[in-house]
Amino acid sequence: MITTIENIGKAFLSKILPLRGTLQFATRVFLNIFDRRTYNSASRMVFIHQFYFTSVQILPLFLFVAVIFGSLINGMAFQVVKNLGLSDYLGRLLMGFVVTELSPFVTVLLIALRSSSAINAEIAVMKVSRELNTLESFRIDLIHYLFIPRILNGMLSMVLLTSLFALVVLSIGLLVSSLVFGTSVDAYIDTLLHSADVLDIVILLIKCAAFGFFITLIPIRLGLNASQELTSIPVAVLNGMVKVFLAIVTIEALSSILRFI
Amino acid sequence: MEGFLADHKSHLGLVSLEVPLISNLPVWSNIALIRQYHENMPWEEAKTLALDLLRRFGVAATAEKRNPSLTAEERFCIMLIRAAMVRDAVVVLDRPFRIFPDLPDGRFFMDSLRKVDDLIAEAHFFDYNWEKERYGATDDAEN
Amino acid sequence: MTQRIEFKVGLFITITSFLIMASIGYVAYKKGMFSKVYTYTLSSHTGENLTEGMPVAVWGFTIGRVSSLELNDQGTVLIRIKIPERHIRMIRADSKFVLDKPLIGSPRILVKTTNLNGLPLSPLTIPELTESNDINEIIKRAQPIIDKADRIMANIEGITANLADPKGDVNRILRDAEALVARFSKRDSLLEMVVGDPESVKSIHESLKKLRDITARADGILQRVDGMAVKADGILQRVDGMAGKTDEELYGRDGVLPQFRNILRDLLAKLAKIDATFDNINKISTEAADSTKDLKALRNELDETIQTIRDLADEIERMIPFKTKPEIKLP
Repeated sequence: MITTIENIGKAFLSKILPLRGTLQFATRVFLNIFDRRTYNSASRMVFIHQFYFTSVQILPLFLFVAVIFGSLINGMAFQVVKNLGLSDYLGRLLMGFVVTELSPFVTVLLIALRSSSAINAEIAVMKVSRELNTLESFRIDLIHYLFIPRILNGMLSMVLLTSLFALVVLSIGLLVSSLVFGTSVDAYIDTLLHSADVLDIVILLIKCAAFGFFITLIPIRLGLNASQELTSIPVAVLNGMVKVFLAIVTIEALSSILRFI
Repeated sequence: MEGFLADHKSHLGLVSLEVPLISNLPVWSNIALIRQYHENMPWEEAKTLALDLLRRFGVAATAEKRNPSLTAEERFCIMLIRAAMVRDAVVVLDRPFRIFPDLPDGRFFMDSLRKVDDLIAEAHFFDYNWEKERYGATDDAEN
Repeated sequence: MTQRIEFKVGLFITITSFLIMASIGYVAYKKGMFSKVYTYTLSSHTGENLTEGMPVAVWGFTIGRVSSLELNDQGTVLIRIKIPERHIRMIRADSKFVLDKPLIGSPRILVKTTNLNGLPLSPLTIPELTESNDINEIIKRAQPIIDKADRIMANIEGITANLADPKGDVNRILRDAEALVARFSKRDSLLEMVVGDPESVKSIHESLKKLRDITARADGILQRVDGMAVKADGILQRVDGMAGKTDEELYGRDGVLPQFRNILRDLLAKLAKIDATFDNINKISTEAADSTKDLKALRNELDETIQTIRDLADEIERMIPFKTKPEIKLP
């Protein structure tokens, strides 16, 4: 009996301790964001390169996905709304679901699949090949030079790409709306405006930033867990991606609670 | 050696296999990084400086290359230039024959150090006792 | 390379940021965040149910919000509401401000303006905020229902007590039901169980048998009456053939034809009654007594008809002695 309770306690602690470590690491990184020394020429260059790889390079694919998703979602939403005679709820559906839920979700999935995995592997490789030692020996702070540019890039990319996704989807919505309902541009915009809530937009932006923060911080943290062996790289990436997925679900749930309370 | 490194940490320019070049940065960026980070030097200026130094060593062609595609000689030169980028650098060459093992003696290292003489404050070799003769040293060297 | 990347990144950030800012700015502009806002002050004797940010609505549309609440030296609550310029037309000097507390949802201030062309409300005027309390209204309306529910509850309590009492009505009914079931399992038929006497059942069975006979006979009557109608047609034709007879005898007040018509009318009425009686016969299992009564009446009426027709036949025979005796079969 006592052994069982001990095992339960051990299992709980083994799960909770890494989480505590991650949260401590997150706090440290977050506080360093406001450190002036972070913003030097080297960090800026890393940020620009990271942003280029995360947001600009992906742009054609991202826009393509946004157009496809936008057409599908709008088509389905408009048909359902039309069939059920719920045209009055069109604005709420578009603003409440497509903009505030779907856009960040699709964006975070794309960024996580592409950039989080890359960051995870990159940090793990740097750890295995002792490149992190190089930076430390030259007194280059890992958080300032390596982590914060990546995390800021994640946050900014999430916000910008989500907004872009939402704009594309809403633009397609305008097109579908005029084709299905014969709605004018003004009427469509009025419908959206009526359902747009500044608080929802603020929560959306905070959610995007939180997504961006954690989907880059977790791969960095898990990448640092790699040992000196090459075989530890895939393990680190695998663990990192699983944790990224859990973080996405957690943030999504928390933001929903925040919105609907 | 650890004690020495700790004492000179603020100006330390280490040349060692333990501190390899960053593989996802081009050569010029590996060199420019030090000034960019510590002195907030704009990347264009830092790049120019790096290219100048690469030219001194005759390896300017490697500027856009990455670590895995470098020869041992090129790698050593770039590591040395990077160490020299530290302001008032105390350059420490940690077992340089491990970086460039094909050399018969240490003259190449001395020649290389002379090329960045204007940038460095001190230079120290740390190697095994049995390598003493390759440096042409007669007295006891630090291990 | 780096320069090209910097340019692309810069371009992307600029364009996307511009699009986002433009969108948010447009929403903010349309939501009236940049328009001039007028502040009015209302007074209330209580600050209960009033909160900052509470909506101010006209005809269900939110036109403004409560910006601040303040308690002055006289113990009056001052409520400052902010109304954007584009909704200012709704706030007139004669506007009434009502604190609406719906049963479901948050309270809000309703503006009731009867004349939109009236004088505008001066920002220096402090109208009073009256109160409309949906909850109390509903409670007042619900009071009789609650009283009734109380009575129902008391009754239910009584029933429950009765149910629990071994000597109570419910238990007695259950005991009786048990006895009934026992009887049901012993007796030969449901009918015997109901009447409780085998002799009565036998008697009812015999009555039903008789009733079936009566039905068969009634069918026969109907057939004969039909035959009678056919014969009556024949009589009519013969009567027509008597055109050579005196008009007075044929068409006079007491002539043959008027009498004959009367008989036919009577006959039709009887036929209608026979139909009704047959309907009753169909329902005989439930209204056996009534139906039997109807059959007796029918028998009497049919006897009368037969007699009348006989009289008619005699009359015709008397009037037309040279004719052969008409064949009128009677039941």
